[in-house]
Amino acid sequence: MQNMKIEETKYTPAIELDASGAITIVGKSYPENTFEFYAPVMKWVESYFESGAKKLAVNMEIVYFNSSSSKLFFDLFDLLEENNNPELIVNWIYDAENESAMEAGEDFKEDFEKLQFNLKAK
Amino acid sequence: MQISELQNLVEKQGIVFLSYGGFLSQGLIAGMTEALEKEAEYNNLNMGVSSNIFTIFIELAQNMMNYSKTKSTTLGEFKAEGLILVGKDKSGHYYVESQNVVDSSDRAKLEPKLQEILTMNREEIKTRYKELRRSGKDTHGKGGGIGFYEIAKRCDTIEFEFTPLNESKCHFHFKATINTIKE
Repeated sequence: MQNMKIEETKYTPAIELDASGAITIVGKSYPENTFEFYAPVMKWVESYFESGAKKLAVNMEIVYFNSSSSKLFFDLFDLLEENNNPELIVNWIYDAENESAMEAGEDFKEDFEKLQFNLKAK
Repeated sequence: MQISELQNLVEKQGIVFLSYGGFLSQGLIAGMTEALEKEAEYNNLNMGVSSNIFTIFIELAQNMMNYSKTKSTTLGEFKAEGLILVGKDKSGHYYVESQNVVDSSDRAKLEPKLQEILTMNREEIKTRYKELRRSGKDTHGKGGGIGFYEIAKRCDTIEFEFTPLNESKCHFHFKATINTIKE
């Protein structure tokens, strides 16, 4: 597995996929073609689990996002839940003052009860 | 045309910025979102409230951009009249307002959805949003799926109106108001 890095833009987050077991997605997310933009990320995650790896820490810190990103994140969590194991953890990180980002995290947490899904205010 | 007339109108309506005509592009939307961020910062807006304003603006603007793209064969009719603006009313609440030309057949799809949203409370909107997001239904396209539920979830009131232009086209006018002062 190769590591992968996507630089941040005005409307897409910084993404780091580390084959030693960490995913970091930080920034804003409103790409023009959300599913195309995240396709390499989804593919990477699929390959990661196919390789037999289990341990994975997913850190997401999204300030705001459009509805197609919301759907995409849902699909990502769905993929994680399919490969759920005790060493898989999701951290939804938000600014303590950003109630809106907190609520978005709560909504995902409710939808993925099987995942170790942590809401972390910073 | 006196540009001062336009300026008077903009000031009277508390308009922060507006875009009218031409092509809405992703770059333009990102630039306007950046301007909105500055506005929020300058006015010390609460982060949760400002995130909601940004999301609603982006949702409406990308809807318009994508819609005009799908109608590119008849673009002449669609490109010129797209209007989107962000303003602040006298009580200090922000609003995002848009108007564009839509096919009557699209009105038929959109209007029942919006009318239903009007009858729903916040909890019901959230539930429907999550149902639609889970089912994946209506979300394959580039917008107009869960987008209006995303907007409704993040604002306090929505208003909309369809004004027929001719037999096959109408103006779609939409406004979302965001309560700036949270309890």
